[in-house]
Amino acid sequence: MREGFRQELKDLKAEVHGIGLSVTDMMSASVKSLVEGDVDAADAVIASDDAIDRRCLGIEEHALEVIATQSPVARDLRLLYSLTYMAWHLERMADLSVNIAKATKRTASRRGPQTLYDLIQAQGNLVHRVLDATMEAFEKRDLELARKLEDLDEPIDHLYKQFFRELGRLQDEDDIEWASSMVLASRYLERIADNAVDIGERIAFLVTGEMMA
Amino acid sequence: MADQMSDKSPEQISEGTDKIVVKDLNFYYGDFNALTGINVSIKERAVTAFIGPSGCGKSTFIRCFNRMNDLIPGARVEGLVSMDGQNIYAPGVDPVDLRRRVGMIFQQPNPFPMSIYDNVAYGPRLHGVRKKSELDDIVRTSLERANLWKEVNGILDRNGLALSGGQQQRLCIARVLAVEPEVMLMDEPCSAIDPTSVQKIEDLMAELKDRITIIIVTHNMQQAARVSEFTAFFLQEQAGEPAVLVEYDRTANIFTSPQDRRTEDYITGRFG
Repeated sequence: MREGFRQELKDLKAEVHGIGLSVTDMMSASVKSLVEGDVDAADAVIASDDAIDRRCLGIEEHALEVIATQSPVARDLRLLYSLTYMAWHLERMADLSVNIAKATKRTASRRGPQTLYDLIQAQGNLVHRVLDATMEAFEKRDLELARKLEDLDEPIDHLYKQFFRELGRLQDEDDIEWASSMVLASRYLERIADNAVDIGERIAFLVTGEMMA
Repeated sequence: MADQMSDKSPEQISEGTDKIVVKDLNFYYGDFNALTGINVSIKERAVTAFIGPSGCGKSTFIRCFNRMNDLIPGARVEGLVSMDGQNIYAPGVDPVDLRRRVGMIFQQPNPFPMSIYDNVAYGPRLHGVRKKSELDDIVRTSLERANLWKEVNGILDRNGLALSGGQQQRLCIARVLAVEPEVMLMDEPCSAIDPTSVQKIEDLMAELKDRITIIIVTHNMQQAARVSEFTAFFLQEQAGEPAVLVEYDRTANIFTSPQDRRTEDYITGRFG
């Protein structure tokens, strides 16, 4: 019953999943541009943000329309609510990736210590792992995996702190602007992962109907 | 299905005061067991909605509360139905007095073929009110409480059947209110009337529940969600089998996170 409605929910879910994959790519591309000092790649990341914004807005509009016309309840209502919430977070994650790409543009003219690039790359890889797990948990309604996201997020926070310690070793005053851009990039990555953890909590709500604190 | 049964038994809704308590109720039409094993406590001064597919026994159940089923040959109730701690099926209970305390509104508005005034004054007169000024007061107050006074105060002598469907339904509500009931049973009260009137009746329920316990049977799940604090979901899983109470909980819980898969499937339109 309600085949059209069910199909709409399926389509919306698939679209959010698709946006999640695009944002994951965007995040990875922004880190790569930063590590390689590739300004063109950074510009490409910045340019891709408009499309993400439009798609996320599309989710909100479509979800509102379905809520207004179909009066969804129970798991259908939880799905629509969670999709809207996820779209909002994904849009934030894309913005943070843009911020990383902007850091690329500020730092590309100068080459800092390799250790710091390695740290950023390592952090980027961990964030990628969190985003993959988030989208998998969403796709499979995997409660256990959704609840594991917080654990996966932990080493990212550690790397962020380690990044600070490494910065403390810098001597040259000329490094300050470069260093602050890099530390911000590390902070953005940490925030992207936090957004993914929030999505994980919403996936748990979707499955169980219970809000986690 | 048993493993999916809600672990919240009806009695575990702890908030509020119980107005009506039903224990182990079985209902029979002759040999046919229509309802089985019903346990539920209806909260005082709140709206409780009964939902479920056609034939799930919700109308049968609501009629147990004012013993309307007594009038059906072969109908039989087992178990306990108590109101304010008193068994309403006990030998000394007068069904006519019970039906004053527990009023009923039906799907089709059914005003008596007499004036608006006499419709509302009918019950009080039956219960011995004779004084004109007292009846005038009751008629006015009841029509005001039913949100109909403004529309009819100049035409009280007109026949009740001349009103629109929605007005007729509010006239029936005024007629019930005139005898100061404690409980009002509403069996699909909005199925036969226009949307504006539906809104008026829903608003009215919100006002009345400060003083009256309301139980509404409705096929419109959105209406149940809008008007009630508590919702009970009934289901007859196989034709010929008795219906059961599947889940009873706060309405907000039923419509966001029902505990039983059958409730979920029904309210999301997967069957029924």
